[in-house]
This record gives sequence, structure tokens and C-alpha cells, in this order.
Amino acid sequence: MKKNLLAAALLLSATTSFGGGYQLNLQGLRQLAMGGTGVAWPWDASTIFYNPGGLARLKGIQVYADVVPVIPNTAYGTNMYSAQSKPQVFTPFSFYIGGPIQEGSRLAIGLGVYTPAGLGITWPDNWAGSNIVQAVQFSAIFVQPTVSYRVSDFLSVGGGFVYGTGTLDYSSTLPVETYVGNNDTLGKAKLHGTATGVGFNLGVHLKVNDNLQVGLTYRSQVNMGISSGDATFTVPTSVAANFPHTQFDSQLPLPQVASIGVGYRTGDLTLLFDLNYTGWNSFDSLRINFAQHTPAVQDLHEPRHYRNTLTPRLGANYKLSKTVALMAGACYDPTPVTNGFVSPDLPDADRIVGSCGISVKPLPRFTVMAAFEGTSSLKRSSSYDYANFAGTYQTQVVAIGLGFYYNL
Amino acid sequence: MRRIYIIGAMAVLFAGCKPSVNITKAPIAGSADFSNYLAIGNSLTAGYTDGSLTVSGQLNSYPERLFEQFSLIQGSRGAKGPFLQPLLNSDNGYPGPKFILGITHSACIPGDSSLSPIPFPNYVQDPTDATYTGTTNNFQLNNIGVPGIKVADYRVAGYALITQAAGVPYAARFYHDPTTTPLDELKYRVNNLYPTFFTLWLGANDVLAYATAGGQGDGTGNATPVLPPYFYGPNDITPLAVFDTCYDLALNAAIATGASGALINIPDVTSVPFFTTVPANGLTLTRQGQADTLQAYWGAATWNKVFQVGANYFIIEDNKGNPRQAVPGELILLTVPQDSLTCAGWGTTKPIPAKYVLTTDELQFIRNMTANYNAYIKFEAQLHHLAYVDINAYLGTLSSGIVFNGVNYTSQFVTGGAFSLDGIHPTQRGYALIANQIITTINSFYGSTIPSIDANKYHGVNFPNGN
Repeated sequence: MKKNLLAAALLLSATTSFGGGYQLNLQGLRQLAMGGTGVAWPWDASTIFYNPGGLARLKGIQVYADVVPVIPNTAYGTNMYSAQSKPQVFTPFSFYIGGPIQEGSRLAIGLGVYTPAGLGITWPDNWAGSNIVQAVQFSAIFVQPTVSYRVSDFLSVGGGFVYGTGTLDYSSTLPVETYVGNNDTLGKAKLHGTATGVGFNLGVHLKVNDNLQVGLTYRSQVNMGISSGDATFTVPTSVAANFPHTQFDSQLPLPQVASIGVGYRTGDLTLLFDLNYTGWNSFDSLRINFAQHTPAVQDLHEPRHYRNTLTPRLGANYKLSKTVALMAGACYDPTPVTNGFVSPDLPDADRIVGSCGISVKPLPRFTVMAAFEGTSSLKRSSSYDYANFAGTYQTQVVAIGLGFYYNL
Repeated sequence: MRRIYIIGAMAVLFAGCKPSVNITKAPIAGSADFSNYLAIGNSLTAGYTDGSLTVSGQLNSYPERLFEQFSLIQGSRGAKGPFLQPLLNSDNGYPGPKFILGITHSACIPGDSSLSPIPFPNYVQDPTDATYTGTTNNFQLNNIGVPGIKVADYRVAGYALITQAAGVPYAARFYHDPTTTPLDELKYRVNNLYPTFFTLWLGANDVLAYATAGGQGDGTGNATPVLPPYFYGPNDITPLAVFDTCYDLALNAAIATGASGALINIPDVTSVPFFTTVPANGLTLTRQGQADTLQAYWGAATWNKVFQVGANYFIIEDNKGNPRQAVPGELILLTVPQDSLTCAGWGTTKPIPAKYVLTTDELQFIRNMTANYNAYIKFEAQLHHLAYVDINAYLGTLSSGIVFNGVNYTSQFVTGGAFSLDGIHPTQRGYALIANQIITTINSFYGSTIPSIDANKYHGVNFPNGN
């Protein structure tokens, strides 16, 4: 029995971390191609996400599906060191079915299954920030049964209940090592947990006339709670007693978002303008509570202090012919992460987004779409003071979406 | 379909366009010239760690780290290699074994064992480690740190011979003439190397040796030479006047070539794990009966005593040889035999011998003199327009923790990551942190932009695998 292990200090550096501006805005292809706008204009069944109030405006029940492979790349550098995140492809998807229960009905019902979060980052093995994060991925899928009601030609409302499930995977190195000559093995920490949460999504759609429409939506915060996640530590055997395999609880909030959108159509051209106000300040800190504590394994409480953001979006849709439309859009997405809290688990910065896309209707009831979005963050030099880790970051993200919808 | 092509082309364009953050601003030297760097000092400069000197320790000393960073400066004022040190050949430890972590078993409690530093098992001195290295590389050396050396030793003729006879052969391994003084050796090396930049970190041993001996020496600052005219007792605190004179002599030798440099002050030696790991109130009583027994045992003694269930201050022997109970702030040395505490009644019915205890008076001597020495070092830095590295203040923040790239370093023994298994000298990571602090000071003083070091890249404490 190694009872009196001298190792009696906080070995887990109290800086394990993850999270960040982890929200995705890829829940519909035409909206994606139009700079993320879509609150004011119920294009298709994906309005279940963008504005449930617009669902009753559809002509009938529609099936919608898409997949949007996303390739993010992040670079980190100081004047001594540089690193690039490992190449990874994430595949968020969306599926919607819904519309007025029969033609001309005021009542519409629907179901959405979509991916509100799903990115991550993997840094090179044992990179300079490996004690903070080696790799992290947080993905969530929301299921949203929805009801919408057309009160009048002018007013349509809708709402959905949101049930979210997700997974969190996180790994880092630990500052306990064993070495023989140059053969050095660092300790490792791994967290894996499944998360669930509930919320709602409300929308109001106002049709001033055929060419001027307004949308208002509110998506509630969804607290993705993790209970009894797995915490595994790989450490030298002489300190293994201080790093037991244990469970952890945590919580990641997916923020509330209030949006307003205006759409205006002139001839074949539709212009949309959206504003999203995102309540990131709910992500004030990250807590990881372990079931079993030792001098080396203590609960973590990391400050995050995210701030709310206001994101303007612009999009255009041009109907080239009866069967083909082109889309384009742009948005400026300010970061919720304030200086001093820029952690390498999601080194967020203000982002500039440009997008475009095409829709083709080869059959009367069937439309296929393709969208492309390019995002680049501004180069940001900042620090994560909690871990005393500073540097310059830049992230670029490419998303290419393919999908279709079919009117039943 | 042309438009789809355009989308496809854009996609390829974006996918191929990965961001990169290469900050290629080359570091500059500012007003200093780092082309030829000389490190002067004691064990901390030599790269001593885990209770001994090894070639790995030398190759990861803070002067080696500084040299690597200095050599990132392009052009004539960047450091040029190689960095010459009086290297050993082995990692066994020289002249005695280094410490490693191992399991030790309690002498009196069956099955009780702990992971703690033990001397490198089956130690044999590598015969090549004793090889004289002073003449290699045209008599040039960039690091002349000598473990154990005091400022007071700088005038002692035959220093290398005296220390060698005492079993500490570090100076004898490379001094050009063993009969000479460390000061003459310094002058000789300066003449050969002609340094443009130096660091001088001396003085810790002038108080540390007294402290590690548990205050068994003359701590008053009025010690007299045991070997006149200049050799003081190893465990005495160097008188301030002697310190000032010798420090000044060494410094003037260091700047003889007009070199710029940095003077590094003396850390509070009593804040290292060697003194802070065994708590003075480590006497834990679990039953009132134990407290009553002790109260009765020492009942006749006139000194204040408190025995109660819970934590109690140990019974110690003060510096006059009298027993008493320790008081808050007093320190027990790491070298106190744990088995004697747990099995032989030390600290309860038998006072912990004075050589394992730093009493309030002794600590006062150490702290006063450290402050006096540091005041003089600061004065000299200002006088000679040299950078002054307040490593004392920096290491003071270790007790509350220094977070570096996500790793929290503390002054905790073994687990703190910064101090090696001897409880006094840093680990490789600790030395890198110290090098960073020196760089920070150099940069602000000389206007240079030397980049800092990723301290986490280097070794900390080696935790063994297997049983």
C-alpha cells in the first residue's frame, strides 16, 4: 500500500477546458447560402429552425434534408512557435418534415432534427498548449416537434419544443511524466460524456404583403447537462492512486438567440436582412465536478465570461428562371470571447462570412440545393489568462452543403 | 452549369487556403551584445538537480537555455555556438548518486510505504566523470558555475584543492590552476573567452549552507575565518562586509572586458521545499490520552506547551541544546529521518535535534542577511548599469503557484513540478522558468526582444512506472 504518497498537490493543472463560440449556423442550405438570413422568409421546411412561425406559410407538407461537411482550420503562433490544428471534417446535417396539415389549412405541424453545435479542434500531439487542450469536440443534435398557426394572412405564429442530445470529448496532457532517457511519456486526461437538454423555439411571421415580410424569433437557451461522464487518466503507475477513473458532471449552455429579420422582394430578387442577438453571457464559467476527489483530481472552475453578441446578416436570392435560383450573402459575426479569455479549445475571434449557392428544381415537386460558405476570423492576438497562454490565432472554415426538399 | 464550376473552384480555393500564423519578427539584441556569453555562479548555474550533478542537468541548466535563446538573435550580436560547459559523461550523479523517486518502507509500521526520493540504486561513479575538462576548447568555458561555491570563497587560494579534499571536486574538474583563487580562475576565463555578456548568480550558498545545516554554524554575521585569512566555515553565514568585498571583486572581474550582463539576486532559501515540506506542527495526536501522556512527560518543563487532539508542534532542540516545543513559523528540514519521527519518538518524547530545525532566531539571521546581500547586489547593478533580476520575488510567487501554458507550478515538494528531488534545486522545467524570468528582465533593461522558452517542453519530476 502506497499510503503516504508524497504527491499531495494539484496535479491536474486546473486548466482543462473546452467550449467556446461553438454554435453552428448551418440549419438550412438556402439560408446558409444567403449569409445565414432566414427569419423573415419561410423558404422551405427548414423554417422550423429559422422561424417556426413561418411553417404555416408553406403550401403543404414538405420533406427537407441536407448535409453540410465543414472543414475548419486554426493556426496558432507566437514569435517562437507555431502550430496548426489537424485537418478534420465535421458533418452536421438537418432533416425537416412539416407544413400545413392539408392544403389551405391554417394549422401546420412539423418535426426538425438538426445540428446546432458540432465542431471541435485537434491540435498536434504534445503541442505547446497540450496541457490546456489536446483535442476537444462538442456535438449536439436537437429534435424539435413544432406547431405553427396562420392567424391571418398577416400573422402567423409557431413554436417548437427542443430536446437536445450531445456528446463531449476532451483530452489533454497532464504534467506528470515518466521518462527513461529520451523516451518520455506524459500523462493524459480524457473526458467523455453525453449531454442532454431541453428548450424551445418560438417565431412570429408577419406578411405585410407578398413583397415585404418580417420575422421575429426567440430560441431559448438549452443547457446541455452532462452527468456521469467518464474521466480517465493515464499516468505513471506510481501516482495512479491519485488519478482514479471517475465520473464527472458538467454543463454547456447553448445560448438563447433573439432575432429579427426583414425580407423584401422586387421582381426576381429577394433581399433579406437579419439581426441575431445571442445570449452568450450565460457561458460565464465552465465547471467540471468529479465524483471522486484526490489531491490531484479536484473540481475545475474556469472563468469564461462570454459576452452577448449582435450579428448582422445580409442575403440575396435571385430567381434566374422558373427552375434555377442563385443565392449569395455575407455576415459579420462578432466573437463572444473577450480578451484574456481566448482559450485554444476554441480560439474565437470576429468572423467574416461570405456565402453563395444555387437551387435547381428539376421536377415540379423536387428541388436540389448546393451552398458554399467561407469564414475567416480576423487574426487575433490574445491570451487565456487563466492558463497563462497567449498567442495569435486565425481560423478559417469552409462549409459545403448539399440537400433537397420534396413537396409531398 | 458554369456557375456550379465557380462554386466548386471557390471551394477548392478556400480548402487549400489554410491560415497560418507565422510571426517571423526576428528577435533583436537591443543595446546588449550576446555574441559571447559567460555564466558565473554556483550549483544553480552549473545545472545541479536531484541532489547531484549530471550531464543532463548541465545540458538543461538555465545558462544553456539562455544561450539557446541568445542564439536566436541574428547577426553579429546573437550568440554563437557551441556553448561550452565542463560536461560530465554520465547521468549517475557526480560525485555522489542523484535522487530518484522510489518506494521506501516504514521501519515500524508494517506495510506502510511511500513514494519518496531515494539515492540512485546501485550507484557507481562513472570514472570518466572525474575527467579534468579545463583545457578543452582552447581553455574556453561559457559556464563556470561551481556547486557549493560562496561569494566568500572568491579570495580563497587553493579553493579547488580544499573543496576536493572535502569530497566536493567540482572546481577541481576544470579550474586551470587548483592552487589559485576562484577570483583568479574567473579572471583567467574572462581573458580567454572575452565575454560580451555575462550572468552572475552568486550568494545563495553564503546563507543556504547555514540553513541546510539547521543553523549549526555562526549565523550572526560576525563569523571569523576558520582557515585564515579568507576561508570561512562552510556552515557560517558570510559577514556582510566580506560578502560585499568579494562580490565586488568578482563583479569587477566579470565586467573587465566591458561586457553587459545581469546580476541575479538571492532567493529566500527558506521558501524551498527542503524547508517547507515537513510541517513544524506535524505531530498529530488522535486521542486525548496521548495528549495527557505528553503533558505529563514534559510537565516539569517551564516552557509553553500545548498538546491536544489534532495537529501539534513538535518538540525540538533549540540552538542552545535545550528542548522546547516549536513555535509557528519554525521549520523542520526535509532531511529529518521520517522513521525517527514515526517510530523513535522524535518530536514527542525526544526533541528533534537542532540540526534538523531552523528556529525563529536562525530564520531571522537568514532572512536579514539575504535582504542585506540583495540590497548590495541591487546597488552594484545600479552602479555598473547592469540588469538586476529579482529572482527572489519571482520564486516567492511559486508558493501560490505560477501557471505556465496551462501547467500550474508550485513550490510543493515532488508534485509542484518546479523543484527537483533535493527540495532545493529546480527541475529542468524550473530552470527554464528561471531563464524566462531572466530573459524578461534582460529584455526590459537592454531593449532586446529575446523570446521566452516553452518550459513545459523539458523534464519535470520523473514518476516511475511499475512497482
